[in-house]
Amino acid sequence: MADVTLPSLGESVTEGTITQWFKKVGDVVARDEPLFEVSTDKVDSEMPSPAAGVLTEIIAGEGDTVQTGSRVAVIDDSGTPVAPSSTATNVAEAAPAVPERAEVPPSAPPAPVTPVTPVAPVAPVAPVAPTSEESSTAGVVVSPVVRRILNDGGVDATTVQGSGPGGSITRRDAERAVAQGPSEEVVVPLSNGKRRMGQHMSVSSQSTPHGFVAIEVDGGVFAELDRLGRVTRDGEPISDEMVVSLAAVRALAEFESLNATYQGDEFVVHRTVNLGVLRSIADDGMLVPVVHAAAGLTLRALARRVNELDERLASRQLTTDDLMGGTFTIAGAPSEHTLWTTPIIIQPEVAILSMGAVRTVPVVTTRGKTPKLEVGRRVVLGLSFDHRVCEPVGAAHYLERVAELLAGMDLESER
Amino acid sequence: MPAEVQQFDVVVIGGGPGGYAAALYGASAGLNIAIVELDKVGGTCLHRGCVPAKEFLETAHVRRTVEHSSAFGIAATGVSVDFAVSQNRKNEIVDRLFKGLSGLLKGRKVTIFSGTGRLDKDLTVTVVDGADAGVVARGKNVILAAGSVPRTIPGFTVDGKLILTSDEFLDLSALPERATVIGGGAIGCEFASLLSDMGTQVTILEGLPSILAGCDSEVATVVQRSFKKRGIDIRVGVKITGHTPKKGTTVIAIEGEGGVETDLVVMSVGRRARTEGLLGEGTGVEINAGGFVVADGYMRTAAPNVFAVGDVVAGTPQLAHVGFAEAIVAIKTILGEPAVPVDYDRVPWAIYSNPEVAFCGLTEAAAKEKGYDVVVKKDPFGGNSRAQIIGDTEGVVKIIAEKRADGSGGQILGVHMAGPWVTEQLGAGYFAVNWEATAEEAAALIQPHPSLSETFGETLLALAGRGLHVG
Repeated sequence: MADVTLPSLGESVTEGTITQWFKKVGDVVARDEPLFEVSTDKVDSEMPSPAAGVLTEIIAGEGDTVQTGSRVAVIDDSGTPVAPSSTATNVAEAAPAVPERAEVPPSAPPAPVTPVTPVAPVAPVAPVAPTSEESSTAGVVVSPVVRRILNDGGVDATTVQGSGPGGSITRRDAERAVAQGPSEEVVVPLSNGKRRMGQHMSVSSQSTPHGFVAIEVDGGVFAELDRLGRVTRDGEPISDEMVVSLAAVRALAEFESLNATYQGDEFVVHRTVNLGVLRSIADDGMLVPVVHAAAGLTLRALARRVNELDERLASRQLTTDDLMGGTFTIAGAPSEHTLWTTPIIIQPEVAILSMGAVRTVPVVTTRGKTPKLEVGRRVVLGLSFDHRVCEPVGAAHYLERVAELLAGMDLESER
Repeated sequence: MPAEVQQFDVVVIGGGPGGYAAALYGASAGLNIAIVELDKVGGTCLHRGCVPAKEFLETAHVRRTVEHSSAFGIAATGVSVDFAVSQNRKNEIVDRLFKGLSGLLKGRKVTIFSGTGRLDKDLTVTVVDGADAGVVARGKNVILAAGSVPRTIPGFTVDGKLILTSDEFLDLSALPERATVIGGGAIGCEFASLLSDMGTQVTILEGLPSILAGCDSEVATVVQRSFKKRGIDIRVGVKITGHTPKKGTTVIAIEGEGGVETDLVVMSVGRRARTEGLLGEGTGVEINAGGFVVADGYMRTAAPNVFAVGDVVAGTPQLAHVGFAEAIVAIKTILGEPAVPVDYDRVPWAIYSNPEVAFCGLTEAAAKEKGYDVVVKKDPFGGNSRAQIIGDTEGVVKIIAEKRADGSGGQILGVHMAGPWVTEQLGAGYFAVNWEATAEEAAALIQPHPSLSETFGETLLALAGRGLHVG
C-alpha cells in the first residue's frame, strides 16, 4: 500500500483544498498520472500519482481542505490482479446513512461534501460522467409541459431549483420562475481562480494609490523580429512581449527603485530582478508566473524561461514557487489592436509595465532636413506605479529608457 | 473450508420483477450481475400473482361474452366451464413467459444462483439453501429484491384446501359453490370478481368502511354497484373474530353479526416483506418496525452500496411496475448516472376486476385534504358509442384538476377510471398527470372515434370549460 499525501505546494503554503479527483476508488492509476486537483490561495494544480496501482481509498474528498503532508488517499501498489474494471462504481460508498423513508417520495440526503447541494443522486466520490452533482440535480425537466412553460417564459431550466423528486422541476416551480421573469441574469459561482484574482486586485487597488504614464515608442525592432522569423537560434518562439521584457529588465538596472516591494511601511529595493509575466486563464482569472533572476539573461535565455513557464501553465503544472518572489511585472497586449492597458500593481511590487499591440502606422521621420511620412511600427508602453514611492516623471524616464534599449537592441546576436 | 468468493458488479437477492429488471437493465449497461433466487425467476408476479390471476380473469371475461352472445344473434347453448383447462392454459402462459425471461437473462450473461440469498457484511451474499447452497458471491453493490408474501389474520391457518391465500388459489383446479374473500382491496376484488363471474356465490368481508378504500370513492362505487348487481354479498366495516370448520365447510364469525358459512376462504389482507433471514450480522441495512427495508428515493439503504427495490421496500406501492422503475433508478445510481426517483404519488394503478379500475394521481378526497381547490368532471361510459357496440357500458371516467380563478380546470391532479378496458386506457391519463398538463393542454389532443378513450377526451374538454357531449 502506498499513501498519497498532499505534497509541499511551495514554501509559504501549508494547506490546499482538494477540488477534484480524477480517479475513483477501484480505478487503476499509473505513476505520475494526474490523480487529483488541489487549489491553494495561489493556484490550482494537478497532482500526479506517486505510485502505480489501484486507488483503494480516498481519505480527503472533494472540497476538503488538508494540510500539506497529510494523507489524502491510499494506492494498492502490490500488483495483485483486480476485478475486471467495469462501469460499476462504488458510488454509494460515501453516501450517508439513509433517513426514515417518508410517505411522500423522499429526496436524497444532502451529500456530505457539498453543503449547497439540496439533493444528491450520486455520491460525490465517483462521478463517472462529467455530470457533477450540481448539474445533475439542478434543472431536471421531466415533463414536456414544464419544458414548454420554461421555454415560453425565457427561463433557463438550470436556473430553477426543482421541488419534485430528485430536484425535478414541477409545473408549479416553472410557473413561479416564469412569473419572476426571464432569467437573463444567471448567478454563476466564481471559479477559484477568479476569486483569487478578485481578492488580489481589490486589495491592491484599495491599498495602493496608482499612478500611470504611457508613451508611444518606435517599434522598428519588431519589424526586425519578423524578419528573423520570431524564433531564437534554437527555435524557441520569441514574442513581442519577450523583447519588451528584455529591455524592461535591463532598464531596471538604472531605475532600481522600480524593482522594489513596499509592504507595511517597508520599502525594499531588490538587487535581483524577478520578472512576473501576467497571464489570463480562460474563465479562471489570472496568474503571474515569475522568471526568477531575469537580469543578465539574453533574449534566447529569457525566451526559453518564459516558454517553459507557459508550458507548465498550460498543463497546470505550475507550483507555488513559480508564482512567488516577483519584483516587477510586465503585462503583454491582451489583443492585436490594444492601444494600452492600465494594469493594477501586483502586490507588494511597486510598478507594472504594460504594452499595447505593435501597430503598423504612418509615422513622421525626421532623417534629413524635411520631415517625411513613412510606414512604421509603433507601440505604447505604460507604467502603473505606486504613487507613494514613485512619481510620474520617474516613471516616464524609465519608459523612455526602455524605448531607447528597444531601439538599440541587436536582435541578431541576442537571439 | 470457506467457499471461494465469486465477484460481481452487482449481486441481486431475489429474481422477481424488481430483481430481474435490475439484472436486465444493469447487464445491458455492461455490468456483471448475479441473481440469487430460490424458486424461478419471474417471482410472485409471474408465478403466483399478477400474471396467473389475469389469465383467470380473462377466462371469466370469455364466459361473460359467451353468455351474452345471443344479444349479437350468436346462439351458444350448453356452455360449461372446465376450470382445469383454464388452469392448464394459465400454466402454459406462465411457462412461456418464464422461458422467455430465462433466455433473456442468459443472453445478457446474468448468473443465476439457486437458493435463498443472505446479505452478510462487506457486500457478501451467501446462498443458504437450494441447489447452490454454500456459494458466496461478493458484489461491488448488492440489491435487495426479496419481495413479499401474503399476510394472514389471527385465527386463520392457511391449509391450502379451505383457507387459501393468492399463492394457493392460483393452483385451484375446481371452483367451489360458495367462497368468502377476506379483504376487499385490489387483490380481493379481483378474486371476488372472477369467482362470481365463474358462478361461485361470493361474500366479501372488509374491515374498512368500503371496498377498494384506496380508490376514488366514485370509482369504488361503480365496482360495488356492479358487484351487488351480480349478487356478490359485500359486508364492510366488519370485525372477524375467527372461524369454525364443519364438514368440508367453515363458518366465519363476525362480531355482532351472524356467521358466514362458506366452502372456501380466500385471504387477501395485504402482503408483508420477505425479510426474515435476508440479513446476516452487521450489514447496516435498516429494517423498519413493519419488517420492510428502509431506502431513500435513489433506492439506497442505510448501508453503503446496498440498494433495495420492489415489494421489500418500506412505504411504497407493491406493484410490479413500481419494482421495474425502482430497479432502473437503483442501476442508474450505481452507474453514477443522474436518476429521478420514482414519484410514488403518481404511479399507475390497475385493478383487473369486472369492471376494471385504473387510476393515477390524487383522489378527489386526497386532493382536498392536501388543500387544493379542485374542479371535477365525470363522464359515464353509457354514452360512449364503442362501449355500446361492445355491450359494456358500466363505468365512469373522473378527472380532478386544480381550480383556476375562472373556475375552469388547471393542472390535472388525478385521473380515475372504472369500466371496460380502462387498464389499457390509463396511459393517456398517466402522462397527463405526470407531465403536469392542464385540462386545456390535454383536451387539445384528440382521441380516435369511435373508441372507449373518447370518454377520457370528453371529460377533459368539459374540464377545460366547454364540452361536446358532457356538461
